[in-house]
Amino acid sequence: MIQLSHVYKVYPTQIEALSDVSLEISDGEFTYIHGASSSGRTTLIRILYGAEKPTRGEVVVNGMNITAKSFNKIHLLRRSMGIVFQDFKLLKDRTVSENISFALEVIAYQKQEINKRVLEVLEKVGLQGRAKDPIFALSAGEQQRVAIARALINDPPLLLADEPTENLDDQMTDEVMKIFADLNQKGTTIVLATHNKELIQRYPHRVIYLLGGRVDLKMEDEKKAEE
Amino acid sequence: MKYFVWHLVRRAFLNIKGNLYPNLSTVGIIAISMLVFSSFTLIAFNLTSFIKIWEEKIEIMAYLKRETPIQEVETLLNKTRLLEGVESVRYISPFDALAFMESKLGGQKDLLKGIKAWILPPSFEIELKKEYRNSTGIKGVVSQLKKFPQFEEIQFGQEWVDTFSAFVHLLNLTQWILGGLLLLAMIFIISNTLQLTISARREEIEIMRIVGASPSFIHIPIYIEGLLQGLFGAGLAILFLYLLQEIMLLHLPSPIQLWTAKVPIHFLPPEVILQIVLGGMCLGLFGSFIASMKFLRYGE
Repeated sequence: MIQLSHVYKVYPTQIEALSDVSLEISDGEFTYIHGASSSGRTTLIRILYGAEKPTRGEVVVNGMNITAKSFNKIHLLRRSMGIVFQDFKLLKDRTVSENISFALEVIAYQKQEINKRVLEVLEKVGLQGRAKDPIFALSAGEQQRVAIARALINDPPLLLADEPTENLDDQMTDEVMKIFADLNQKGTTIVLATHNKELIQRYPHRVIYLLGGRVDLKMEDEKKAEE
Repeated sequence: MKYFVWHLVRRAFLNIKGNLYPNLSTVGIIAISMLVFSSFTLIAFNLTSFIKIWEEKIEIMAYLKRETPIQEVETLLNKTRLLEGVESVRYISPFDALAFMESKLGGQKDLLKGIKAWILPPSFEIELKKEYRNSTGIKGVVSQLKKFPQFEEIQFGQEWVDTFSAFVHLLNLTQWILGGLLLLAMIFIISNTLQLTISARREEIEIMRIVGASPSFIHIPIYIEGLLQGLFGAGLAILFLYLLQEIMLLHLPSPIQLWTAKVPIHFLPPEVILQIVLGGMCLGLFGSFIASMKFLRYGE
């Protein structure tokens, strides 16, 4: 599903965000990318959905070598995954269903198919009956669930989430993590970037530790030993 | 595919609706710029038509020496008819010339009382073949006429036509220089307005990218927006120009109205209108292309 070999990312300001990162995430895995601020976890997620190009190394996502020189289908890569952000990235002036259907409208789905899928996905995230509500009338947790619904509407095999519970209280975090767990159980690969150790302890899954832009293998070994 | 195209057009209209004020301002500015450009085109077009009409009517008047015997006039008339470039020749006797002057003076023909016909010189009115009704053709015929010693003076209106043609040429040049500057300003305005509207929709465009919209899905509505701005702007300019011309023709002073009856003032022909509208659309497209190049980079 995801393969990174010897990936480096140096920004024009000479800041080295990632240094010799190699990792593999298999189909159906639930993986945390954990690290403190400036550990390179957001850069890693951005590389996975093609928003950043690595300076060096090879990245293969969903069978697409996105670092190949001839690769110019970032939009197709993004259609093969769902992305969830800390700040939800919703259109505040639209309703729940308009926000979710937007993801299919931009890839020219027929209206009938869109409506059918919106209802299905709203049920998955527990927001049935809220389709016509404006976004501003929703709580932060509900907004994040709308963002997840949008990420899921295309039924992607991979879901990337960058600090999805950062702005949520414990109860809302539970709701969101439960959705992720359900999806993972049904086969969706989930990669969740977080700095929150507590979250990882409460919902244990595989963890890739990042420290100063490198994969911290020592930490991984320690955790395995603890287990 | 049909659905995709419909979706792109719909999105362009929604974008315009969502940013109505900047779009209307742009259309207004395009309309004013195109109106200035089209006005020059209209003036140049009518002056050129006027020159063509004038050239159609151009003829040579060759005045004979008074002492030329009538038998010689007959021979000269036949020789002139045979000259290269001559369509027809008419002899105008001094009596015909006086009658013509009287007819021209109308109610004031009494002014000619006391003038004897014999003081007017006899002349040949020479009509040229169509292909000789130009500067070079006329000069060729005149040089042949000058070889006959019986002619005292040869007159033709070409010098005036040449001066007038030079003026029209200057007008055309001004039109293109001024037009060029206006076109640059239009591209700048269109590109800036679209940058503003793109900036206002930055969040939406970011989400479109995240969910996998293709570059064409993001860019094409912006190009359509530019095309529509150009179309509406140029269309309005043509409409205003037509109305302006109609209003001006209605309020022309009567002496000029008499003159326009002889030399009709036309509106721009359909092919020129089409060129102006297409030009406006191309400018709109170019402006939107610059805007999208500046703001929308693939992959971000």
